Amino acid sequence: MAAEIALEVSNLTKLYGSFRAVGGISFCVPKGKIVGLLGPNGAGKTTTIQMLVGITLPDGGEIRYFGQDLHRHREACLQRINFSSSYNNLQGRITVWENLIVFARLYRVAQPEQKIQNLGRYFGIDELMGQRFLTLSAGQRTRVNLTKALLNDPEVLLMDEPTASLDPDIADRTLSLIESLRESRDLAIVYTSHQMDEVTRICDEVIFLDRGRIVAQDTPAGLTARIANSRLRVMFEGQPQLVVSALHLHFANVELPTHNVVLVTTEAQRIPQAIFDIGNSGVRITDIDIKKPTLEDVFLHIARGDHRVGDPR
Amino acid sequence: MSLERIKAVLLQELYITARSVEVIVDLPFWSVMTVVVFGFVTRFLSSVMNPTVAHYLYLGTLMWEIMRVAQYSMSLSVLWNVWSHNFSNMFITPLSMFEYVLAQVISGAVKAVVLFGLVALVAATLFDFNMFSMGLGNLTLLFLNLLFFAYSIGLLILGIIFRLGTRIQALAWGLVLIFQPLTAAYYPLSVMPPVLQSVARLFPPTYVFEAARAGLEDPSIRWTDIGIATAENVVYFGLAVWFFNYMYRRSRQTGQFARNEE
Repeated sequence: MAAEIALEVSNLTKLYGSFRAVGGISFCVPKGKIVGLLGPNGAGKTTTIQMLVGITLPDGGEIRYFGQDLHRHREACLQRINFSSSYNNLQGRITVWENLIVFARLYRVAQPEQKIQNLGRYFGIDELMGQRFLTLSAGQRTRVNLTKALLNDPEVLLMDEPTASLDPDIADRTLSLIESLRESRDLAIVYTSHQMDEVTRICDEVIFLDRGRIVAQDTPAGLTARIANSRLRVMFEGQPQLVVSALHLHFANVELPTHNVVLVTTEAQRIPQAIFDIGNSGVRITDIDIKKPTLEDVFLHIARGDHRVGDPR
Repeated sequence: MSLERIKAVLLQELYITARSVEVIVDLPFWSVMTVVVFGFVTRFLSSVMNPTVAHYLYLGTLMWEIMRVAQYSMSLSVLWNVWSHNFSNMFITPLSMFEYVLAQVISGAVKAVVLFGLVALVAATLFDFNMFSMGLGNLTLLFLNLLFFAYSIGLLILGIIFRLGTRIQALAWGLVLIFQPLTAAYYPLSVMPPVLQSVARLFPPTYVFEAARAGLEDPSIRWTDIGIATAENVVYFGLAVWFFNYMYRRSRQTGQFARNEE
């Protein structure tokens, strides 16, 4: 059975004067899925998120949470969603506990103190409750922000670069938390990040935006498969011309940057053939390095204007 | 509308007020310093000239605090959250702008009552100047008229901040001062040039200050002044609500509302 659609965006449009920040995008996010919104700066990710949480008004299109239009049923929709961003903070002058109490009451949480204590234990911020928010480190702020984001038991969570400015260890823990939240709460998550490895790790589907339009939409694996070329780098001992001759029987893109290194650029599934050819040329292979396309390569193709990766092969 | 969410905003106001040295300095400290300094000025002037003149000055100083405190409370509440990058967070919750502004109206009224009570107490105990000699009913009507004009100014400033961003945040402190000379806060309306008198009559505080000065001599309520001030306040408050709604909607259309914290 298909998962319930938590968020449905239809033909969403935002114009700033003559500039089309978001140009008629449509997508949906089922419950229990994480959808990544990626794109270069100015692609329209932030504007899209701002419209999804209702603080910027769209010029066209619809945003529906669980079938309800956000602008007609703002209160009901916002009660079921939440937002976490590394760029938003809580009120810096008051303590973590006071901030969380205020937000719990804004969401009309039953037994707010109990809820905050439970979430505080889960995110390991019990010790921080009495501290002013502005005194916290970036990692601590992220955990407090995530605590805030779960106060109302949201069914949809919008996350705008939640790991920006975190060190790798804290970022990894944050990602693990997000993964466990998705599993344990069946959360639908919209996730923006510039960290392609993060997106590859946690997103079920990725939407690439460029100049306000969706230029590619697929699973991370599906997107990387759209880039044909992997790169094989082989170090060897022996006559380089033997290697080149053997490879030229099957491969067009062969380079010899030094006398003992050969580079072959080809489709990922033909890499074994290239290694076989080099091995049979009579040289001794001393090192092999294979670079398969990543989401970062997809990002770079799109950022540099190559929208052909948007077409599934 | 949710009472619980209004209480949440008020709770945040309470926490910020209690924990911010700036708020403590800007509100009770500033108010008390003002009433003490002008108390001594009044005492000195009373000894060298007609005491009524000095009392007019002191009365204007005390009543101006109502406007300053209510308008400060309304405008600065938004800025405290904008400066913390928390304002948009609050409107990602089901909190509506109406609930938020209503909470600020309540908060402004409470602060104005408490601080006006404080300055009136200081004036009475240290400088033998009893504000209540003009009558509690009279004082309440004058107080409410100043309060509502401060709300109108507060809404005007909030609308401008929402629409144009924090680069014009100095208005949160400064705009209300434009009305100090124009509303004859410290002197009778009659000393102003005729053209400026006509301008002054466009603003409710002018009638409030005139009625308050008259109240020092005769505590009976000056219904004409109160009536005109109230009617003007209704118009100004209505215009301020319309302007605020328009600017709030425009700031969400242009994306400025979300960009205010960048």
